[in-house]
Amino acid sequence: MIEVLGVHKSFGSLEVLRGVSLEVTAGEVVVVLGPSGSGKSTLLRTINHLEKVDRGFITIDGELIGYRRRGGKLHELKEREILKQRKDIGFVFQNFNLFPHLTALENVAEAADLATAREFLGRVGLADKAGSYPRQLSGGQQQRVAIARALATRPKVVLFDEPTSALDPELVGEVLDVMRDLARSGTTMVVVTHEIGFAREVADRVVFIDQGVIVEEGAPADVLDHPVHERTRAFLSKVL
Amino acid sequence: MASPGTLTLVSTKDEDPASLPVVPARHPWRWVGVVFVLVLAAQFVHGLVTNPAWDWPTFARYFTARSIITAVGTTILLTVLGTVLGFALGIVVAVLRLSKSPFLRAVGWTYIWAFRSIPLIVQLLFWFNISYLYQRLSLGIPFGPEFVSFETMELISPMGAAVLGLALHQAAYAAEIVRSGVISVDRGQLEAAASLGIPRFRQFRRIVLPQAMRSILPNAANEVISLFKGTSVVSVMAIGELFYQVQVIYGRNARVVALLMVATVWYIVLTTLLSVGQHYVERYFARGDRR
Repeated sequence: MIEVLGVHKSFGSLEVLRGVSLEVTAGEVVVVLGPSGSGKSTLLRTINHLEKVDRGFITIDGELIGYRRRGGKLHELKEREILKQRKDIGFVFQNFNLFPHLTALENVAEAADLATAREFLGRVGLADKAGSYPRQLSGGQQQRVAIARALATRPKVVLFDEPTSALDPELVGEVLDVMRDLARSGTTMVVVTHEIGFAREVADRVVFIDQGVIVEEGAPADVLDHPVHERTRAFLSKVL
Repeated sequence: MASPGTLTLVSTKDEDPASLPVVPARHPWRWVGVVFVLVLAAQFVHGLVTNPAWDWPTFARYFTARSIITAVGTTILLTVLGTVLGFALGIVVAVLRLSKSPFLRAVGWTYIWAFRSIPLIVQLLFWFNISYLYQRLSLGIPFGPEFVSFETMELISPMGAAVLGLALHQAAYAAEIVRSGVISVDRGQLEAAASLGIPRFRQFRRIVLPQAMRSILPNAANEVISLFKGTSVVSVMAIGELFYQVQVIYGRNARVVALLMVATVWYIVLTTLLSVGQHYVERYFARGDRR
């Protein structure tokens, strides 16, 4: 489904991703853990080409993201073609990034028609908030609208970039509930988060990333309870 | 025990501290200021009424005279055309300035540089005298045959030259105002729009511009008001706008002060209307801000 192969990415002289390879199969829920600055958010942003990669490539259902292969070279796609590819990739941001001048319904409808927008707003339990502006909603509600918006293009995969990190503790639960339902319905998900409980319960696989490389991956029970690598152990001892 | 000069905060037994009355701080100097300003204002109003040099009868005779009303119409027309064309072109120049292409960025920058460098009055006189430079304008293949051609004098009337000059001048300033609004919109908004696959033009029109309007509007209103009064510069081209008309009349009857007051009051009235309009337009674009 998703294939990340040997991805390198630098910002100036700082090498954030140093050869990351990852495969996600259809319907799988992969949780990415790692200390801040480890490159996990950057990895997620390269998957929908919000960040260009320096080396390596990413495919979704065999289709190269952001490039076309012709002969031995990767040609960068036109913006219009990249935008079309992004409809297959839902993205949920840490800071929601709802459009503040549009109502909840209009936010979701930016990505789809009104009927679809209503349907997805209902799926995250906010049908009654259709006419509210983002500022009138709680953080948890805003993030649920953002999830509905990401789903409205009917993407093949949904990427979550620390979806609960900007929320007050008592609002985290409602967002995780929505994500749990999504996972159960067979949505392919890649989730960057610090919610170890969510990883343990929902993830099919946990990936631990540090200093731009994948250090360890496996079933949640293995990685979280019996980490093999020293760096994984050090990280888990801080967050658990 | 409280020493002299300190306050005792602890109440005595039979006193309820919650029932103590609160005395607001007194500001005697504010009242001195109020009296001072009121006296000045009273003197000014007294002068307006009693000083015959203001010549209010003449003011009253000309304020709604047909020639003045026509001139006010011309001033409004120049303002509207200058604003609409200026901002339309300004948005295009702002987009050039924000383009990813270094060439287009340079084009936008050069436009702004050129039109901010030339004083409006100089530019207007250039357009007014354009037919000295180019007597004929023609459409055709560059350096090749011509298809149609016009006499410049016929194509660009004095009014046309004035609108052209005002719009080109305004566009340079409008471009910077629009650009400042666009860069004030959070990057995350563009990322969200991009992640939804919204096409570039729609991103700009639906997501960026409405939010940019919040910071564009106060500056744009300033520009419109200053353009409105700036149209008086056009009087050098003998176009019958308000200030030119007033000059013509006082040139004839020498009632300079009364006629300047006619113009002043019209400028004040219309600027007030613009300010009221600004309030409502700003409220519309702040709609996502309500709780």
